[in-house]
Amino acid sequence: MRVARVFRLAVADALANRRSFYVQVIAMAINDLTWVIFWLLFFNAVGNVRGWNGDDVLVLFSILLTSAGIALGLLGNSRKLGQLVADGEIDAALALPLDPLAFLLARRVDTALLGDLAMGPLLFAYASDHTPESLAIYLGGVACASVVLVGFLVTISSLTLFFGGRGEQADLGFQAILIMASYPLDIFGGQVKLVLFTLIPAAFVTGLPTSLLRDFDPATALALLAAAIGFASLGVGLFRLGLRRYASGAVWTQA
Amino acid sequence: MGGLTPYGVAFTRGVLRALSRPGDLAVRVGFYLIILIVTSALWRAALDANDGELAGYDRVALFWYVAAAQAAQLGPRPRTIEEVGDEIGAGTVAVQMLRPVSVVGLRIASELGEAMLRVVVAFVIAAAGMLVTVGAPHSTAGALLSLPAALLGCTLSVTAQHACGGIAFWLLDARATWFLWSKLVFLLGGLLIPLELLPDGIGNVAKVLPWASMTWVPGRLASGDLDPLLIGLQLVWLLIAAVLAAGVFALGERRLQVVGG
Repeated sequence: MRVARVFRLAVADALANRRSFYVQVIAMAINDLTWVIFWLLFFNAVGNVRGWNGDDVLVLFSILLTSAGIALGLLGNSRKLGQLVADGEIDAALALPLDPLAFLLARRVDTALLGDLAMGPLLFAYASDHTPESLAIYLGGVACASVVLVGFLVTISSLTLFFGGRGEQADLGFQAILIMASYPLDIFGGQVKLVLFTLIPAAFVTGLPTSLLRDFDPATALALLAAAIGFASLGVGLFRLGLRRYASGAVWTQA
Repeated sequence: MGGLTPYGVAFTRGVLRALSRPGDLAVRVGFYLIILIVTSALWRAALDANDGELAGYDRVALFWYVAAAQAAQLGPRPRTIEEVGDEIGAGTVAVQMLRPVSVVGLRIASELGEAMLRVVVAFVIAAAGMLVTVGAPHSTAGALLSLPAALLGCTLSVTAQHACGGIAFWLLDARATWFLWSKLVFLLGGLLIPLELLPDGIGNVAKVLPWASMTWVPGRLASGDLDPLLIGLQLVWLLIAAVLAAGVFALGERRLQVVGG
């Protein structure tokens, strides 16, 4: 598997500067704790909001951290794809005998986000009800959420191939989906919910997986699976379509 | 641009750069509006659960607070620390050091040109939206004063992020610092939750920390609190951040020269 070898190289790259690696991972863990503190402070000040309390949000947050760790940490270029395209740095990937998108996604591990990957399961172990069923739903939910996240980021990054720019829409989309996925779905009204199920699919990243953990429903599980397949297909399709319009940036060193 | 200092030229070019990419500006303002919608939904639900008032904020005060605080935060590029760190780590900064001007000064001026334009555009759009959807602010003077406060907060943020990004002179990488920084602004800056809603001890300490001057101060003014000390606090932190940024870059550039970078 060529992509697996590329990924092993990316891991080796990430570990090359050990001091930086540990600083990044610890800083991210502290960053995650900040969010946990925010939600605890919020519910302390406000009380229960539309059926949600602090523990419910910690479970939601554990799903977000784990899926972000996979989608943005292990596949570090997923959030940089727009910038790579804008800077003309994907040329090297186009010349290789493997799928350019797979290569680009596997080529870089973002060490900072590995802190999320470590914190997510720890938080789930702390806040969940510790049953095998919950663990299975958590794992399945995280897998689907990760695919949705990567699919969405590839989709908005691919817009750079069509409209140019510096890939900032991908950066903002990345922030938007993470922020929106940090909030309980039930606080939103109908119109906002529509956005969270379509334009910025944060509902599929944390909303539905958390809902499944609170009250499992096969139809919801199928909807989550369908969203994962849909966003993955959209991302891959749009990237390949956009590549047909891509003009070389004549940069060969940083893909 | 004759007659302008190099920093003035960099600032003006920053403004022109932002204007030359209306798509990027639109995306950012669009994102800002989405965030406003999301946070408004959260606070609407919270107010509903608390008889319409939280720590002295009613619906009008809280929504104007959120709009101004978020507008101030929209200015700086989200990954400024990371970009500064990348430039240092990749050695690009060595080329910038060849110019007969301050590397950090020129960089900050250029960033501010872009950032301030974004703040002004977001602020005007948000104010119009608030007037239509929420109503007039409790204090018109406070709401007007929150615009210069937002610009000051934006300037402080860009300057302080350069000071933090300078850590890359030693670590060669400042990515995690960016994540950490953004969360400090979210929490201790009062971006996600007004500082009055934090437990008393934490809230009172947070009010005098630099992150509060970036977002909480403009928000507080917009909510109707016309306290002149708030602007004074911003100016003090801006001075400290400027000294720190200049100092970190001076030390870092000397280190880079010593190791032959």
